[in-house]
Amino acid sequence: MSTLTAHGLRLSFDDLLVLDGVDLQVSAGQTLALLGPSGCGKSTLLRVLAGFETADTGALTLDGEDVRGPSPLRGMVAQAGTLFPWLSVRDNIAFGPRQGGASDVRGTVADLLAVTGLTEFADALPRQLSGGMRQRAAIAQVLANRPPVLLLDEPFGALDAQTRLRMHEWLRSLLTERPTTTVLVTHDVEEALLLGDRLGMISARPARIVSERVLPFGRARGRHTLGDPEFARLRAEVLDAVLTA
Amino acid sequence: MTQGLIEAARAEAQAGGGFTALRRSRGRRGRRLLGLLLPLVLLVVWQVAVVLEVRDRNRLPAPVDVLVALQEFFLTPSRPVLSGVVPFVGAGWQHLGASLERTGVAWAAAVVVGLLLGLGLGLSRWFADLTDPLLNALRAVPLFAWLPLVIVQFGLGETAARVLVFVGALWPVVVSTADGVARVPRQHIETARMLGTPRARMWQRVYLPSALPEIVTGLRLSLTLAWTCVIVGELTGITWGVGAMMFSSRERGATDQIIVGILVFALIGYTADRLLRTASRRWVRWADT
Repeated sequence: MSTLTAHGLRLSFDDLLVLDGVDLQVSAGQTLALLGPSGCGKSTLLRVLAGFETADTGALTLDGEDVRGPSPLRGMVAQAGTLFPWLSVRDNIAFGPRQGGASDVRGTVADLLAVTGLTEFADALPRQLSGGMRQRAAIAQVLANRPPVLLLDEPFGALDAQTRLRMHEWLRSLLTERPTTTVLVTHDVEEALLLGDRLGMISARPARIVSERVLPFGRARGRHTLGDPEFARLRAEVLDAVLTA
Repeated sequence: MTQGLIEAARAEAQAGGGFTALRRSRGRRGRRLLGLLLPLVLLVVWQVAVVLEVRDRNRLPAPVDVLVALQEFFLTPSRPVLSGVVPFVGAGWQHLGASLERTGVAWAAAVVVGLLLGLGLGLSRWFADLTDPLLNALRAVPLFAWLPLVIVQFGLGETAARVLVFVGALWPVVVSTADGVARVPRQHIETARMLGTPRARMWQRVYLPSALPEIVTGLRLSLTLAWTCVIVGELTGITWGVGAMMFSSRERGATDQIIVGILVFALIGYTADRLLRTASRRWVRWADT
């Protein structure tokens, strides 16, 4: 497990300042949920963490090593999904390990198919899956490389409320079973509270992390957590903070 | 949850799948029958024009005359002919084989060269800047404009014929491959890089499969063009080939034989396209084309 650290990340596209000095640290095995309004620069921040964009200034390190460009060490799943449409679910999951030269990936693939509940759909193409299945397959594809860091960019944003809740429970249990340093960006307060160990609030563009708090619900969270008075109080408080940001 | 989805999918298939499939099957049969209607109408109009003697019988033979010529072309034993004379009776399979081989060899070469050029154009901005103006200018040259130059360079005969088919079939492969590669979604490229695909392997593991639907469309167009261009290639003084037979028949004023050539071209072109379309559905089933 690894620690991801960013200090003073600043990024502009032409004259548009998108990131304005972002500082964050995600400790090994922890999940940092970043919550912010639409268009604030959350996805851009995640793309910088993934190495798809390079910050104009600032430092980004993984276990003290500078991050340069995309790498199997930092797996990112986007809302639109990252599956290759021409490959079956099985081959999508096997894609990463094969790039690394692994000859026998059957065990890894079978394990991830079981973990994601997709064993019966191993030979299906991505377009034959439901939205929730596609996102689980995309997460399995990234996890197949055993990345120490997982970056999730509103991975369940396109799903209906019922499926989204099921996916939250599934991801929570997955991250409990396989602790992975995770950064989740979302504009869904409930999602942030259910999945994060810590919650960071991002300002409207240009993005900065304006506050951070540790979430008190422990690891075993699910639909029962929604009825917790503390959860309801915190949700109202965070929602208020988002609306007044 | 997974089990629930499977059960839901099965229930849906049981509830509506059968009737939907039946309706689709009936629809396909109806469309096929509709496709036969126009050729039948043309056949009737043709026969009526012959009965009314719109043109003399030498210029407009009856459908039955063409049927007899077709039978002579393919089913009658061949007769010995003088060297350099393009035979007709009993020579059908040999003419057809020569045209198919000529087209196949030239098309295969056009596909290989077209894929390489298209990949280069789609993958390398430098290569595209270097070659795009020249390739676009050459693409605009009509095939017949190449004919004199090709004959001067390669002489009359087989090589000239193949070069002309190659030139005609090349451009759709180049354009479709370059377009397909240039349109590969950024997320595929980023995902592959994130999953550790070496840069040198990106063309093979991401660009080529992602661009395959466009490439296949280009291959189909290219094959059709190759088959239509072979007749231009067979203007180059060769003895064997359906096109060569047609030009020889024109010199003899044998319109029925010319129409036989047209029918062969139509039938083979249609069949080749259907075969490639069926094969391509398997290659790009993921794109639902």
